[in-house]
Amino acid sequence: MYKLFLTLRYLRKRRIAYFAIAAVMLCTAMVLIVMSVMGGFLDQLKSKARGLLGDIIIDNRSYSGFPLYEEFIADISAWPEVVKATPVLYSYGLLRFYDSPQTNTVRVVGLRLEDAYHVNAFKSSLYYERFYPGTTTLAEQQQPLLGFDLRSPPIDWRDERGEVMGQGPRPALPPPYQEALEQSWAAGVRDTESPETEYTTTMQAANLPPIAGIYGVVPGVGEPALMGEEQPGLIIGRDILAKRLPDGRYQRLWQYPRGCLVSLTLLPASEAGTLDTPVKPLLRYADDSRTGIYEIDSQHVYCDFDLLQKLLHMDTAERVDPETGTVIGTAPARCSQIQIKIREGANPRELARRLERHYHGLASDPRFQDQLSLNDIQLIHFIEGMTWEQSQAHIIAPVEKERQLVTILFGIISLVAAVLVLCILYMIVLQKTRDIGIIKAIGGSSAGVALIFITYGAACGVVGSAVGSLLGYYFVIYINDIQDWLTSLNPAWQVWDRSVYSFDAIPNTVRTGDIVAVVVAAILTSTLGSLAAAWRAGRMEPVEALRYE
Amino acid sequence: MSDALLIADGVHKTYDMGRSQLHVLRGCSLHVAGGEFVAIMGKSGSGKSTLLHILGALDVPQQGQVLFEGRPVFAPPKQRHFYAHALDVLSGYERRRIALRRRAFGFVFQFYHLLPELNVLENVLVARMVGASTCAWPAQRRPARKDTLAILEHVGLSDRLKHRPAELSGGERQRVAIARALVHKPRILFADEPTGNLDAVAGDELMALLKGLHAVGQTIVMVTHDPGIAARADRVLRLEAGVLREG
Repeated sequence: MYKLFLTLRYLRKRRIAYFAIAAVMLCTAMVLIVMSVMGGFLDQLKSKARGLLGDIIIDNRSYSGFPLYEEFIADISAWPEVVKATPVLYSYGLLRFYDSPQTNTVRVVGLRLEDAYHVNAFKSSLYYERFYPGTTTLAEQQQPLLGFDLRSPPIDWRDERGEVMGQGPRPALPPPYQEALEQSWAAGVRDTESPETEYTTTMQAANLPPIAGIYGVVPGVGEPALMGEEQPGLIIGRDILAKRLPDGRYQRLWQYPRGCLVSLTLLPASEAGTLDTPVKPLLRYADDSRTGIYEIDSQHVYCDFDLLQKLLHMDTAERVDPETGTVIGTAPARCSQIQIKIREGANPRELARRLERHYHGLASDPRFQDQLSLNDIQLIHFIEGMTWEQSQAHIIAPVEKERQLVTILFGIISLVAAVLVLCILYMIVLQKTRDIGIIKAIGGSSAGVALIFITYGAACGVVGSAVGSLLGYYFVIYINDIQDWLTSLNPAWQVWDRSVYSFDAIPNTVRTGDIVAVVVAAILTSTLGSLAAAWRAGRMEPVEALRYE
Repeated sequence: MSDALLIADGVHKTYDMGRSQLHVLRGCSLHVAGGEFVAIMGKSGSGKSTLLHILGALDVPQQGQVLFEGRPVFAPPKQRHFYAHALDVLSGYERRRIALRRRAFGFVFQFYHLLPELNVLENVLVARMVGASTCAWPAQRRPARKDTLAILEHVGLSDRLKHRPAELSGGERQRVAIARALVHKPRILFADEPTGNLDAVAGDELMALLKGLHAVGQTIVMVTHDPGIAARADRVLRLEAGVLREG
């Protein structure tokens, strides 16, 4: 009993212990903040990287792609573990907005949009689809122009100061865009993130929700209209066409209204890997996608799978003998990747291996012997089945390693707390040498005396880690507010530049497991720091301790 | 001889002084019977305190043995060096020494040796806590506190319970030390120059207290250099040249 009694008394009376507690507290908070921010960064990266992928990916990492994907999808659609599978094409191209000198090198993704909505989270990354549900399509389309609804009652038009300038018609989009917009208004969906558009003030003054996005405007006071020739739609990565503001929001540029023309230069490749003559189709900007990963959003554009397949000469074609020029068969269509959504509870790794084996089996399937060339068979043999995590390992693994490294580094720095506890307790043991003699003289054992100082160190760890974890927890929760406040004091103090990082905000979630790990480590470290002092105290002979001056 | 409570037999103690050795005790032997008040006299530096510490199991002799109630207090001489440096959980003799200090022996020191962070009540109560486990303490706390208050009343300090040692006079501090030494009802009270730091009046009061304790059967072994103080004991031993002699 005396051990606990004296430990608590020394904790209260020896103010020097507060320094040890403060050191443990700061180190606990520091490690918890680092673990939480880095862990949150990793979680966000994983969830964003997951967005454009199915649960399982079938890929052969070849620009030429691989054949028999439709047959494979038909086969596996009967498998109970498979919910949906869709082919995807990848290529590279040059993107140029029609009336703009600006040209971007882009990675072109061909996908079947409706299927992709079921297989991955691509839909949630689309901007216009959110505010105009059902209007984003990769099919042929015209450009919607913002005009005025001349049949509805006029509304008050006000200037920027809010004073009525007069009455005017209400801005409106052509169908089906206007219906879709009103549908999202009715559902309470509002674009509160984008900077203002031209009619926002007018709409606000008329107590109407804003018209999301940027549209071309009909000349004069005309009805909304669909303009231009029908062209296939193209979804563009948001960082290609919008300016990222320091606060993380995006400002779409006026020169890129929805439906504007875009030219895409593509280089088709044959099954043998040789490049054909470039093709340069015109497309219309249908929507923009934001996965949250800058490397994707600044480089990817998405068009219809069948269109891209045709443009890249990867669709079904006659196979011609190069020497005689005669048709000798049919070359099967090719894709670059198959994304598969699987049922919950299925084992993705095991299923990926089974799918890979099944695909390899198609190369020797008698059904397709007449269709496959030697190149096709080789392309099939390069196919790998992998989970989405395995396919994204090149992005996730370095961040995971960074997280471990930074945590270890800060953990090592935190050993300073253990050294400080050791020094302070050693000092207390020296100061309390005579007390140790007294305790031993009245029957305190060596182990008991040592335990007083071990408990003392552990108590410093408990109190320090408890306060430190609270401090770290609230620091992480309010980390973005703290940064905003610092930036408001001095813009140079902005640590997390939202125009640079992939994410809008510093990750601010604290995992319970991290708190437990840090607190346990802090208590252990602090207790270990007390061992040397405790050993010295326990080894003291009572008579020598009583004589200590 | 057979009714002796404490026996010292041929106790030797040498201090290593670097290049030389100081042979303080050269075969001290004594018998203390139950209820006896023994005074050990000697000049300053003669080894009285060292002998008292050995008798009270606070220090370990190089040779010789001390028996309490017929049982040896120290390990056989060849094992003593090891046990002196071993954790007490490993050594039965070490555990016995601790048990004797907790339950059978009480100490009063010349310089009081009170814990400065604790008040009077706590300084005495801590001696009871030492023998109790954390789990058992809630049940023992009330009787221990009652005994502590009773002993503090006996030594005349019931009105100074919340005072810290720094707020007490020398005589009062020594009475707290006596209360702490007696609170677990020891078989032997060891007093090391108990009046050495007190004025004559306080010294007299303290000796009266010790005599009173002895009158009710308390065995006391006291070390002093003052013949007047020693004369109040039943028996006086002199420590000269490292050897104890009667009278």
